[in-house]
Amino acid sequence: MNMYLHELKSMRKSTIMWTCSMIAIALVYLSLYPAIFSDGAHFKDMLAGYPASIRAVLGVTLDSVTTLLGFYSMIIAFVVLCGGIQAMNLGMSMLSKETRERTADFLLVKPVSRAAVVTAKILAGLTVFLITDVVYYAGASVIASIVKQSSYSGGLFFMINLTLFFVQLIFFAIGAVVSVFFDRLRSVLPVSLGTVFGCYIIGALVAAGKDDWARFISPFRYFDYSYIIQNSRYETPYLATGAVIVIVSVVTCYFVYARKDIHAVS
Amino acid sequence: MSVIEIKNLTKNYGKARGIIDVSLTVEQGEIFGFIGPNGAGKSTTIRTLLGLIYPTSGSARIFGKCCTTNPEVREDVGYLPSEVFYYDGMRVIDLLRYSASFYKKDCTKRINELAEIMDLDLKKRIDDLSFGNKKKVGIVQGLIHEPRLIILDEPTAGLDPLMQQRFFELIASENKKGATVFLSSHILREVQKMCERVALIKDGRIIKLEKMSELQGNNFKRIKVEGQSDLDKTIFDMPGVSKLENGGKTASFLYRGDINNIIRKLAQTELSNLSIDEPDLEEIFMHYYSKDG
Repeated sequence: MNMYLHELKSMRKSTIMWTCSMIAIALVYLSLYPAIFSDGAHFKDMLAGYPASIRAVLGVTLDSVTTLLGFYSMIIAFVVLCGGIQAMNLGMSMLSKETRERTADFLLVKPVSRAAVVTAKILAGLTVFLITDVVYYAGASVIASIVKQSSYSGGLFFMINLTLFFVQLIFFAIGAVVSVFFDRLRSVLPVSLGTVFGCYIIGALVAAGKDDWARFISPFRYFDYSYIIQNSRYETPYLATGAVIVIVSVVTCYFVYARKDIHAVS
Repeated sequence: MSVIEIKNLTKNYGKARGIIDVSLTVEQGEIFGFIGPNGAGKSTTIRTLLGLIYPTSGSARIFGKCCTTNPEVREDVGYLPSEVFYYDGMRVIDLLRYSASFYKKDCTKRINELAEIMDLDLKKRIDDLSFGNKKKVGIVQGLIHEPRLIILDEPTAGLDPLMQQRFFELIASENKKGATVFLSSHILREVQKMCERVALIKDGRIIKLEKMSELQGNNFKRIKVEGQSDLDKTIFDMPGVSKLENGGKTASFLYRGDINNIIRKLAQTELSNLSIDEPDLEEIFMHYYSKDG
Protein backbone atom coordinates (compact mmCIF):
# COMPACT_ATOMS: atom_id res chain seq x y z
CA MET A 1 0.00 0.00 0.00
CA ASN A 2 2.82 2.40 0.84
CA MET A 3 4.48 1.83 -2.52
CA TYR A 4 1.17 2.25 -4.31
CA LEU A 5 0.51 5.57 -2.61
CA HIS A 6 4.05 6.73 -3.21
CA GLU A 7 3.72 5.97 -6.92
CA LEU A 8 0.37 7.73 -7.14
CA LYS A 9 1.82 10.79 -5.47
CA SER A 10 4.77 10.91 -7.82
CA MET A 11 2.46 10.78 -10.86
CA ARG A 12 0.04 13.41 -9.60
CA LYS A 13 1.26 16.33 -11.68
CA SER A 14 1.63 14.51 -14.96
CA THR A 15 -1.83 12.98 -14.55
CA ILE A 16 -3.42 16.40 -14.12
CA MET A 17 -1.60 17.64 -17.22
CA TRP A 18 -2.62 14.70 -19.39
CA THR A 19 -6.22 14.84 -18.23
CA CYS A 20 -6.45 18.57 -18.91
CA SER A 21 -4.93 18.21 -22.38
CA MET A 22 -7.35 15.45 -23.29
CA ILE A 23 -10.34 17.45 -22.12
CA ALA A 24 -8.97 20.43 -24.04
CA ILE A 25 -8.89 18.39 -27.26
CA ALA A 26 -12.51 17.39 -26.74
CA LEU A 27 -13.48 20.96 -25.87
CA VAL A 28 -11.84 22.52 -28.93
CA TYR A 29 -13.29 20.05 -31.40
CA LEU A 30 -16.73 19.64 -29.85
CA SER A 31 -17.19 23.40 -29.71
CA LEU A 32 -17.12 23.32 -33.52
CA TYR A 33 -20.00 20.87 -33.56
CA PRO A 34 -22.95 23.32 -33.47
CA ALA A 35 -21.54 25.18 -36.50
CA ILE A 36 -20.94 21.95 -38.38
CA PHE A 37 -24.42 20.71 -37.55
CA SER A 38 -26.13 23.86 -38.79
CA ASP A 39 -24.12 23.72 -42.00
CA GLY A 40 -24.23 19.94 -42.28
CA ALA A 41 -24.80 19.65 -45.99
CA HIS A 42 -21.82 21.82 -46.88
CA PHE A 43 -19.61 20.00 -44.45
CA LYS A 44 -20.60 16.65 -45.94
CA ASP A 45 -19.96 17.99 -49.46
CA MET A 46 -16.54 19.18 -48.44
CA LEU A 47 -15.63 15.81 -46.88
CA ALA A 48 -17.06 13.96 -49.85
CA GLY A 49 -14.57 15.90 -51.97
CA TYR A 50 -11.73 14.15 -50.10
CA PRO A 51 -10.48 10.85 -51.48
CA ALA A 52 -12.07 7.91 -49.69
CA SER A 53 -8.70 6.82 -48.31
CA ILE A 54 -8.12 10.17 -46.62
CA ARG A 55 -11.58 9.96 -45.10
CA ALA A 56 -10.74 6.52 -43.80
CA VAL A 57 -7.48 7.77 -42.30
CA LEU A 58 -9.35 10.54 -40.51
CA GLY A 59 -12.02 8.11 -39.37
CA VAL A 60 -14.83 9.94 -41.16
CA THR A 61 -18.05 8.15 -41.97
CA LEU A 62 -20.03 10.45 -44.29
CA ASP A 63 -23.50 9.27 -43.27
CA SER A 64 -23.07 9.88 -39.57
CA VAL A 65 -20.49 12.66 -39.39
CA THR A 66 -23.06 15.33 -38.63
CA THR A 67 -24.55 13.40 -35.73
CA LEU A 68 -22.96 14.06 -32.39
CA LEU A 69 -21.72 10.49 -31.97
CA GLY A 70 -20.39 10.33 -35.51
CA PHE A 71 -18.57 13.58 -35.07
CA TYR A 72 -17.31 12.56 -31.64
CA SER A 73 -15.91 9.29 -32.95
CA MET A 74 -13.63 11.39 -35.15
CA ILE A 75 -12.44 13.38 -32.14
CA ILE A 76 -12.00 10.44 -29.84
CA ALA A 77 -9.31 9.11 -32.19
CA PHE A 78 -7.07 12.04 -31.20
CA VAL A 79 -7.91 11.65 -27.53
CA VAL A 80 -7.10 7.95 -27.71
CA LEU A 81 -3.79 8.76 -29.38
CA CYS A 82 -3.02 11.16 -26.55
CA GLY A 83 -4.12 8.62 -23.95
CA GLY A 84 -2.04 5.93 -25.63
CA ILE A 85 1.07 8.05 -25.28
CA GLN A 86 0.27 8.73 -21.64
CA ALA A 87 -0.27 5.05 -20.92
CA MET A 88 2.83 3.83 -22.71
CA ASN A 89 4.88 6.48 -20.95
CA LEU A 90 3.52 5.34 -17.62
CA GLY A 91 4.09 1.71 -18.39
CA MET A 92 7.65 2.26 -19.52
CA SER A 93 8.71 4.62 -16.81
CA MET A 94 7.20 3.04 -13.71
CA LEU A 95 9.69 0.19 -13.37
CA SER A 96 12.61 1.66 -15.27
CA LYS A 97 12.69 4.86 -13.26
CA GLU A 98 14.07 3.04 -10.24
CA THR A 99 17.23 2.21 -12.17
CA ARG A 100 17.24 5.41 -14.18
CA GLU A 101 16.99 7.62 -11.13
CA ARG A 102 19.14 5.16 -9.22
CA THR A 103 16.66 4.61 -6.45
CA ALA A 104 16.60 0.83 -6.93
CA ASP A 105 19.20 0.50 -4.17
CA PHE A 106 16.64 2.05 -1.87
CA LEU A 107 13.48 0.27 -2.90
CA LEU A 108 14.73 -3.20 -3.74
CA VAL A 109 16.56 -3.79 -0.46
CA LYS A 110 13.35 -3.25 1.47
CA PRO A 111 11.63 -6.35 2.82
CA VAL A 112 9.32 -6.66 -0.17
CA SER A 113 9.46 -9.03 -3.10
CA ARG A 114 10.05 -7.85 -6.65
CA ALA A 115 6.57 -9.11 -7.48
CA ALA A 116 5.09 -6.85 -4.81
CA VAL A 117 6.94 -3.90 -6.33
CA VAL A 118 5.57 -4.72 -9.78
CA THR A 119 2.05 -5.15 -8.41
CA ALA A 120 2.12 -1.81 -6.59
CA LYS A 121 3.38 -0.04 -9.66
CA ILE A 122 0.93 -1.66 -12.05
CA LEU A 123 -1.99 -0.88 -9.76
CA ALA A 124 -0.82 2.71 -9.39
CA GLY A 125 -0.51 3.03 -13.17
CA LEU A 126 -3.97 1.55 -13.65
CA THR A 127 -5.39 3.94 -11.09
CA VAL A 128 -3.77 6.88 -12.81
CA PHE A 129 -5.29 6.26 -16.17
CA LEU A 130 -8.61 5.20 -14.68
CA ILE A 131 -8.74 8.56 -12.96
CA THR A 132 -7.73 10.23 -16.21
CA ASP A 133 -10.46 8.41 -18.09
CA VAL A 134 -13.19 9.01 -15.54
CA VAL A 135 -12.42 12.71 -15.32
CA TYR A 136 -12.15 12.92 -19.09
CA TYR A 137 -15.44 11.07 -19.51
CA ALA A 138 -17.16 13.44 -17.11
CA GLY A 139 -15.69 16.44 -18.93
CA ALA A 140 -16.58 15.14 -22.37
CA SER A 141 -20.14 14.29 -21.22
CA VAL A 142 -20.67 17.81 -19.95
CA ILE A 143 -19.30 19.35 -23.14
CA ALA A 144 -21.35 16.99 -25.32
CA SER A 145 -24.55 17.78 -23.46
CA ILE A 146 -23.90 21.49 -24.01
CA VAL A 147 -23.15 21.30 -27.74
CA LYS A 148 -25.71 18.64 -28.64
CA GLN A 149 -28.32 19.60 -31.21
CA SER A 150 -30.55 16.59 -30.64
CA SER A 151 -30.57 13.76 -28.15
CA TYR A 152 -27.94 11.03 -28.44
CA SER A 153 -27.44 7.61 -26.85
CA GLY A 154 -25.62 7.91 -23.56
CA GLY A 155 -24.81 4.21 -23.67
CA LEU A 156 -23.06 4.47 -27.01
CA PHE A 157 -21.24 7.59 -25.88
CA PHE A 158 -19.95 5.58 -22.92
CA MET A 159 -18.94 2.68 -25.13
CA ILE A 160 -17.00 5.00 -27.41
CA ASN A 161 -15.21 6.52 -24.43
CA LEU A 162 -14.46 3.13 -22.95
CA THR A 163 -12.22 2.39 -25.94
CA LEU A 164 -9.86 5.00 -24.51
CA PHE A 165 -9.39 2.80 -21.45
CA PHE A 166 -8.89 -0.35 -23.52
CA VAL A 167 -6.26 1.21 -25.77
CA GLN A 168 -4.49 2.68 -22.76
CA LEU A 169 -4.48 -0.69 -21.06
CA ILE A 170 -2.82 -2.26 -24.10
CA PHE A 171 -0.14 0.41 -24.43
CA PHE A 172 0.47 0.45 -20.70
CA ALA A 173 1.14 -3.29 -20.74
CA ILE A 174 3.36 -3.02 -23.82
CA GLY A 175 5.31 -0.18 -22.21
CA ALA A 176 5.81 -2.17 -19.02
CA VAL A 177 7.07 -5.26 -20.78
CA VAL A 178 9.39 -3.31 -23.07
CA SER A 179 10.96 -1.49 -20.14
CA VAL A 180 11.98 -4.63 -18.25
CA PHE A 181 14.17 -5.75 -21.13
CA PHE A 182 16.37 -2.66 -20.91
CA ASP A 183 19.20 -2.56 -18.40
CA ARG A 184 19.02 1.16 -18.14
CA LEU A 185 16.48 3.06 -20.10
CA ARG A 186 17.91 6.55 -20.32
CA SER A 187 14.87 8.26 -21.69
CA VAL A 188 11.35 6.99 -22.02
CA LEU A 189 9.63 9.54 -24.21
CA PRO A 190 11.36 8.81 -27.56
CA VAL A 191 10.55 5.10 -27.29
CA SER A 192 6.96 5.55 -26.20
CA LEU A 193 6.25 8.37 -28.66
CA GLY A 194 7.81 6.35 -31.46
CA THR A 195 5.85 3.21 -30.67
CA VAL A 196 2.49 4.90 -30.17
CA PHE A 197 2.78 7.18 -33.20
CA GLY A 198 4.10 4.28 -35.23
CA CYS A 199 1.04 2.22 -34.31
CA TYR A 200 -1.23 5.14 -35.02
CA ILE A 201 0.21 5.75 -38.49
CA ILE A 202 0.25 2.07 -39.36
CA GLY A 203 -3.32 1.90 -38.14
CA ALA A 204 -4.32 4.87 -40.28
CA LEU A 205 -2.67 3.45 -43.39
CA VAL A 206 -4.11 -0.01 -42.78
CA ALA A 207 -7.57 1.41 -42.25
CA ALA A 208 -7.57 2.73 -45.79
CA GLY A 209 -7.38 -0.84 -47.08
CA LYS A 210 -9.75 -2.22 -44.43
CA ASP A 211 -7.98 -5.56 -44.35
CA ASP A 212 -9.31 -7.36 -41.33
CA TRP A 213 -6.08 -9.17 -40.48
CA ALA A 214 -4.02 -6.00 -40.86
CA ARG A 215 -6.10 -4.32 -38.21
CA PHE A 216 -4.53 -6.64 -35.64
CA ILE A 217 -1.21 -4.81 -36.04
CA SER A 218 -2.35 -1.55 -34.53
CA PRO A 219 -4.28 -1.35 -31.25
CA PHE A 220 -5.76 1.88 -32.54
CA ARG A 221 -7.72 -0.16 -35.08
CA TYR A 222 -9.10 -2.67 -32.63
CA PHE A 223 -12.11 -0.45 -32.15
CA ASP A 224 -14.08 0.63 -35.18
CA TYR A 225 -16.38 3.42 -34.08
CA SER A 226 -18.89 3.12 -36.91
CA TYR A 227 -19.19 -0.58 -36.02
CA ILE A 228 -19.75 0.30 -32.37
CA ILE A 229 -22.38 2.91 -33.24
CA GLN A 230 -24.20 0.54 -35.59
CA ASN A 231 -24.04 -2.61 -33.47
CA SER A 232 -23.74 -1.29 -29.92
CA ARG A 233 -20.93 -3.74 -29.21
CA TYR A 234 -17.21 -4.28 -29.70
CA GLU A 235 -15.68 -6.69 -32.18
CA THR A 236 -14.80 -9.77 -30.16
CA PRO A 237 -11.65 -10.94 -32.03
CA TYR A 238 -9.98 -7.57 -31.52
CA LEU A 239 -11.11 -7.27 -27.94
CA ALA A 240 -9.71 -10.74 -27.31
CA THR A 241 -6.42 -9.87 -29.01
CA GLY A 242 -6.12 -6.82 -26.80
CA ALA A 243 -6.75 -8.94 -23.71
CA VAL A 244 -4.12 -11.47 -24.79
CA ILE A 245 -1.54 -8.72 -25.34
CA VAL A 246 -2.24 -7.30 -21.89
CA ILE A 247 -2.11 -10.63 -20.10
CA VAL A 248 1.03 -11.89 -21.86
CA SER A 249 2.81 -8.57 -21.32
CA VAL A 250 1.96 -8.37 -17.64
CA VAL A 251 2.95 -11.97 -16.95
CA THR A 252 6.24 -11.52 -18.82
CA CYS A 253 6.84 -8.32 -16.93
CA TYR A 254 6.53 -10.10 -13.55
CA PHE A 255 8.66 -12.97 -14.71
CA VAL A 256 11.52 -10.93 -16.12
CA TYR A 257 11.57 -8.26 -13.44
CA ALA A 258 11.73 -10.81 -10.64
CA ARG A 259 14.88 -12.32 -12.15
CA LYS A 260 16.56 -9.16 -13.28
CA ASP A 261 19.98 -8.06 -12.03
CA ILE A 262 19.92 -4.56 -10.63
CA HIS A 263 23.36 -3.23 -11.37
CA ALA A 264 25.33 -0.79 -9.29
CA VAL A 265 25.47 2.87 -10.06
CA SER A 266 28.24 3.52 -12.50
CA MET B 1 23.55 -19.92 12.64
CA SER B 2 25.77 -17.38 10.95
CA VAL B 3 24.37 -13.95 10.18
CA ILE B 4 25.96 -13.93 6.75
CA GLU B 5 26.90 -17.09 4.95
CA ILE B 6 28.40 -16.85 1.50
CA LYS B 7 29.34 -20.13 -0.15
CA ASN B 8 31.34 -20.49 -3.37
CA LEU B 9 29.64 -17.43 -4.74
CA THR B 10 30.42 -16.68 -8.39
CA LYS B 11 28.98 -13.99 -10.58
CA ASN B 12 29.92 -13.45 -14.21
CA TYR B 13 28.92 -10.41 -16.15
CA GLY B 14 29.14 -11.82 -19.63
CA LYS B 15 32.79 -11.53 -20.46
CA ALA B 16 33.64 -9.15 -17.64
CA ARG B 17 34.80 -10.62 -14.35
CA GLY B 18 32.49 -10.33 -11.40
CA ILE B 19 33.44 -12.42 -8.40
CA ILE B 20 34.84 -15.94 -8.33
CA ASP B 21 34.26 -18.55 -5.66
CA VAL B 22 33.81 -16.17 -2.76
CA SER B 23 33.15 -17.85 0.59
CA LEU B 24 32.87 -16.21 3.95
CA THR B 25 30.76 -16.24 7.08
CA VAL B 26 30.00 -13.47 9.51
CA GLU B 27 28.88 -14.36 13.02
CA GLN B 28 26.36 -12.71 15.31
CA GLY B 29 27.64 -9.49 16.87
CA GLU B 30 30.77 -9.31 14.77
CA ILE B 31 32.15 -6.30 12.91
CA PHE B 32 33.48 -7.75 9.71
CA GLY B 33 35.72 -5.84 7.33
CA PHE B 34 35.70 -6.36 3.61
CA ILE B 35 38.66 -4.71 1.95
CA GLY B 36 39.83 -4.41 -1.59
CA PRO B 37 40.66 -1.86 -4.22
CA ASN B 38 37.95 -0.36 -6.42
CA GLY B 39 36.56 -2.87 -8.86
CA ALA B 40 37.71 -5.90 -6.87
CA GLY B 41 34.16 -7.18 -6.45
CA LYS B 42 33.10 -5.75 -3.08
CA SER B 43 29.87 -4.22 -4.34
CA THR B 44 29.05 -7.26 -6.46
CA THR B 45 29.33 -9.45 -3.37
CA ILE B 46 27.12 -7.13 -1.35
CA ARG B 47 24.53 -6.74 -4.09
CA THR B 48 24.27 -10.49 -4.48
CA LEU B 49 23.92 -10.84 -0.75
CA LEU B 50 21.06 -8.34 -0.74
CA GLY B 51 19.30 -9.99 -3.65
CA LEU B 52 19.82 -7.10 -6.07
CA ILE B 53 21.68 -9.38 -8.45
CA TYR B 54 21.47 -13.11 -8.95
CA PRO B 55 24.51 -15.35 -8.50
CA THR B 56 25.83 -17.38 -11.42
CA SER B 57 26.58 -20.15 -8.94
CA GLY B 58 26.94 -20.58 -5.21
CA SER B 59 24.76 -19.01 -2.55
CA ALA B 60 24.57 -15.97 -0.31
CA ARG B 61 22.40 -16.14 2.77
CA ILE B 62 21.39 -13.73 5.49
CA PHE B 63 20.12 -15.25 8.75
CA GLY B 64 20.08 -18.56 6.91
CA LYS B 65 17.80 -17.30 4.16
CA CYS B 66 18.30 -16.10 0.64
CA CYS B 67 17.07 -12.55 -0.02
CA THR B 68 15.62 -13.37 -3.41
CA THR B 69 13.40 -16.20 -2.24
CA ASN B 70 12.70 -14.76 1.22
CA PRO B 71 12.62 -11.00 0.80
CA GLU B 72 11.22 -10.64 4.33
CA VAL B 73 14.67 -11.31 5.82
CA ARG B 74 15.57 -7.80 4.70
CA GLU B 75 13.30 -6.62 7.50
CA ASP B 76 16.37 -6.97 9.71
CA VAL B 77 18.91 -5.55 7.30
CA GLY B 78 20.07 -1.96 7.02
CA TYR B 79 22.01 -1.11 3.89
CA LEU B 80 24.01 1.99 3.09
CA PRO B 81 25.09 2.07 -0.56
CA SER B 82 28.28 3.81 -1.57
CA GLU B 83 26.33 6.42 -3.49
CA VAL B 84 22.87 7.44 -2.42
CA PHE B 85 20.11 8.62 -4.73
CA TYR B 86 16.59 9.41 -3.73
CA TYR B 87 13.31 10.36 -5.30
CA ASP B 88 13.10 13.89 -6.62
CA GLY B 89 10.94 16.43 -4.94
CA MET B 90 10.78 14.73 -1.55
CA ARG B 91 11.73 16.27 1.73
CA VAL B 92 14.11 14.36 3.98
CA ILE B 93 11.35 13.57 6.45
CA ASP B 94 9.03 12.30 3.69
CA LEU B 95 11.69 9.95 2.44
CA LEU B 96 12.47 8.67 5.92
CA ARG B 97 8.78 8.12 6.63
CA TYR B 98 8.41 6.30 3.34
CA SER B 99 11.41 4.17 4.20
CA ALA B 100 10.00 3.49 7.68
CA SER B 101 6.67 2.42 6.18
CA PHE B 102 8.31 -0.73 4.86
CA TYR B 103 9.09 -1.99 8.33
CA LYS B 104 6.74 -3.27 10.96
CA LYS B 105 8.01 -0.90 13.63
CA ASP B 106 7.20 2.65 14.59
CA CYS B 107 10.37 4.51 13.69
CA THR B 108 9.37 8.11 14.43
CA LYS B 109 11.40 8.42 17.61
CA ARG B 110 14.39 6.80 16.00
CA ILE B 111 14.25 9.17 13.02
CA ASN B 112 14.52 12.16 15.31
CA GLU B 113 17.30 10.61 17.38
CA LEU B 114 19.39 9.72 14.37
CA ALA B 115 18.79 13.04 12.65
CA GLU B 116 20.09 14.76 15.74
CA ILE B 117 23.19 12.59 15.97
CA MET B 118 23.98 13.07 12.30
CA ASP B 119 23.02 16.76 12.38
CA LEU B 120 20.51 16.39 9.57
CA ASP B 121 17.81 18.94 8.71
CA LEU B 122 14.63 16.92 8.19
CA LYS B 123 12.67 19.69 6.54
CA LYS B 124 15.03 20.24 3.61
CA ARG B 125 14.30 18.93 0.16
CA ILE B 126 16.62 16.11 -0.77
CA ASP B 127 17.40 17.66 -4.17
CA ASP B 128 18.90 20.66 -2.41
CA LEU B 129 21.28 18.64 -0.23
CA SER B 130 25.00 18.37 -0.83
CA PHE B 131 26.61 15.01 -1.46
CA GLY B 132 27.68 14.68 2.16
CA ASN B 133 24.25 15.54 3.44
CA LYS B 134 22.61 13.05 1.10
CA LYS B 135 24.94 10.48 2.55
CA LYS B 136 23.69 11.37 6.00
CA VAL B 137 20.15 10.75 4.80
CA GLY B 138 21.38 7.37 3.62
CA ILE B 139 22.88 6.59 7.02
CA VAL B 140 19.73 7.54 8.91
CA GLN B 141 17.59 5.71 6.37
CA GLY B 142 19.65 2.56 6.78
CA LEU B 143 19.39 2.58 10.56
CA ILE B 144 15.85 3.75 11.39
CA HIS B 145 14.43 0.27 11.76
CA GLU B 146 17.22 -0.83 14.13
CA PRO B 147 18.42 -3.63 11.88
CA ARG B 148 20.18 -6.67 13.30
CA LEU B 149 22.56 -6.63 10.36
CA ILE B 150 24.09 -3.43 9.02
CA ILE B 151 25.73 -3.59 5.61
CA LEU B 152 27.92 -0.64 4.73
CA ASP B 153 29.44 -0.12 1.31
CA GLU B 154 32.15 2.58 1.36
CA PRO B 155 30.20 4.40 4.06
CA THR B 156 32.36 7.43 4.71
CA ALA B 157 32.85 8.76 1.19
CA GLY B 158 31.65 12.34 1.19
CA LEU B 159 31.45 12.74 4.97
CA ASP B 160 33.65 15.27 6.71
CA PRO B 161 36.03 13.97 9.43
CA LEU B 162 33.74 15.04 12.27
CA MET B 163 30.79 13.24 10.74
CA GLN B 164 32.92 10.21 9.97
CA GLN B 165 33.78 9.98 13.62
CA ARG B 166 30.16 10.37 14.70
CA PHE B 167 29.17 7.81 12.17
CA PHE B 168 31.64 5.25 13.50
CA GLU B 169 30.54 5.96 17.06
CA LEU B 170 26.99 5.35 15.93
CA ILE B 171 27.90 2.08 14.26
CA ALA B 172 29.89 1.02 17.34
CA SER B 173 26.91 1.72 19.60
CA GLU B 174 24.60 -0.25 17.29
CA ASN B 175 27.11 -3.08 17.47
CA LYS B 176 27.08 -2.92 21.27
CA LYS B 177 23.32 -3.25 21.16
CA GLY B 178 23.81 -6.47 19.26
CA ALA B 179 23.87 -5.54 15.60
CA THR B 180 26.23 -7.37 13.30
CA VAL B 181 28.18 -5.10 10.95
CA PHE B 182 29.54 -5.85 7.50
CA LEU B 183 31.84 -3.01 6.46
CA SER B 184 33.17 -2.79 2.96
CA SER B 185 35.87 -0.25 2.30
CA HIS B 186 39.09 0.53 0.55
CA ILE B 187 40.10 2.82 3.38
CA LEU B 188 42.15 0.64 5.69
CA ARG B 189 42.14 3.02 8.59
CA GLU B 190 38.37 2.62 8.97
CA VAL B 191 38.52 -1.12 8.88
CA GLN B 192 41.51 -1.29 11.19
CA LYS B 193 39.74 0.76 13.83
CA MET B 194 36.46 -1.10 13.74
CA CYS B 195 36.76 -4.65 12.63
CA GLU B 196 37.50 -7.90 14.38
CA ARG B 197 37.93 -9.94 11.24
CA VAL B 198 38.67 -8.97 7.68
CA ALA B 199 38.53 -10.47 4.24
CA LEU B 200 40.77 -9.12 1.53
CA ILE B 201 39.37 -9.33 -1.97
CA LYS B 202 41.33 -8.86 -5.15
CA ASP B 203 40.29 -9.39 -8.77
CA GLY B 204 37.09 -11.06 -7.64
CA ARG B 205 38.70 -13.57 -5.30
CA ILE B 206 39.12 -13.62 -1.53
CA ILE B 207 42.88 -13.70 -1.03
CA LYS B 208 42.94 -13.58 2.76
CA LEU B 209 40.43 -14.05 5.52
CA GLU B 210 41.80 -13.50 8.96
CA LYS B 211 41.34 -12.06 12.40
CA MET B 212 42.48 -8.48 12.48
CA SER B 213 44.72 -9.26 15.42
CA GLU B 214 46.48 -12.02 13.51
CA LEU B 215 46.74 -10.06 10.35
CA GLN B 216 48.28 -7.23 12.25
CA GLY B 217 50.14 -8.84 15.12
CA ASN B 218 51.42 -12.31 14.57
CA ASN B 219 52.75 -11.93 11.16
CA PHE B 220 54.65 -8.72 10.89
CA LYS B 221 56.59 -6.31 13.07
CA ARG B 222 57.86 -2.95 12.00
CA ILE B 223 61.31 -2.70 13.59
CA LYS B 224 63.48 0.40 13.79
CA VAL B 225 66.99 0.30 15.16
CA GLU B 226 69.60 2.93 15.78
CA GLY B 227 73.18 1.83 16.30
CA GLN B 228 75.92 3.57 18.29
CA SER B 229 78.02 3.44 15.16
CA ASP B 230 77.25 2.63 11.56
CA LEU B 231 75.26 -0.60 11.34
CA ASP B 232 76.68 -3.67 9.73
CA LYS B 233 74.38 -4.53 6.82
CA THR B 234 74.97 -8.26 7.13
CA ILE B 235 73.07 -8.53 10.41
CA PHE B 236 69.82 -7.94 8.52
CA ASP B 237 70.69 -10.61 6.06
CA MET B 238 68.31 -13.23 7.42
CA PRO B 239 64.97 -14.82 6.52
CA GLY B 240 61.85 -12.81 7.43
CA VAL B 241 63.33 -9.39 6.88
CA SER B 242 61.75 -7.30 4.19
CA LYS B 243 61.51 -3.70 3.10
CA LEU B 244 64.89 -2.88 4.61
CA GLU B 245 65.82 0.75 4.64
CA ASN B 246 69.34 1.20 5.84
CA GLY B 247 70.97 4.59 6.26
CA GLY B 248 74.18 4.60 8.27
CA LYS B 249 73.32 4.40 11.94
CA THR B 250 69.63 3.72 11.45
CA ALA B 251 67.70 0.94 9.82
CA SER B 252 64.02 0.12 9.48
CA PHE B 253 62.40 -3.03 8.20
CA LEU B 254 59.43 -5.41 8.39
CA TYR B 255 60.06 -8.67 10.17
CA ARG B 256 58.02 -11.83 9.92
CA GLY B 257 58.94 -14.97 11.84
CA ASP B 258 60.15 -16.01 15.30
CA ILE B 259 60.77 -12.83 17.23
CA ASN B 260 63.62 -14.47 19.24
CA ASN B 261 65.75 -14.92 16.18
CA ILE B 262 65.80 -11.28 15.34
CA ILE B 263 66.32 -10.25 18.97
CA ARG B 264 69.34 -12.53 19.26
CA LYS B 265 70.75 -11.07 16.09
CA LEU B 266 70.19 -7.52 17.26
CA ALA B 267 71.70 -8.29 20.64
CA GLN B 268 75.08 -8.79 18.99
CA THR B 269 75.17 -5.12 18.07
CA GLU B 270 75.54 -2.12 20.32
CA LEU B 271 72.26 -0.22 19.90
CA SER B 272 71.31 3.21 21.09
CA ASN B 273 67.64 2.83 20.29
CA LEU B 274 65.13 0.16 19.30
CA SER B 275 61.44 0.25 18.55
CA ILE B 276 59.14 -2.58 17.59
CA ASP B 277 55.69 -1.61 16.33
CA GLU B 278 52.65 -3.19 14.86
CA PRO B 279 52.74 -2.33 11.21
CA ASP B 280 49.60 -0.58 10.06
CA LEU B 281 47.22 -2.40 7.86
CA GLU B 282 48.26 -0.37 4.87
CA GLU B 283 51.67 -1.98 4.88
CA ILE B 284 50.25 -5.47 5.18
CA PHE B 285 47.70 -4.69 2.58
CA MET B 286 50.30 -3.49 0.10
CA HIS B 287 52.29 -6.58 0.88
CA TYR B 288 49.42 -8.88 -0.12
CA TYR B 289 48.46 -6.92 -3.15
CA SER B 290 51.92 -6.44 -4.59
CA LYS B 291 52.99 -10.02 -3.93
CA ASP B 292 50.53 -11.57 -6.32
CA GLY B 293 51.04 -9.16 -9.03
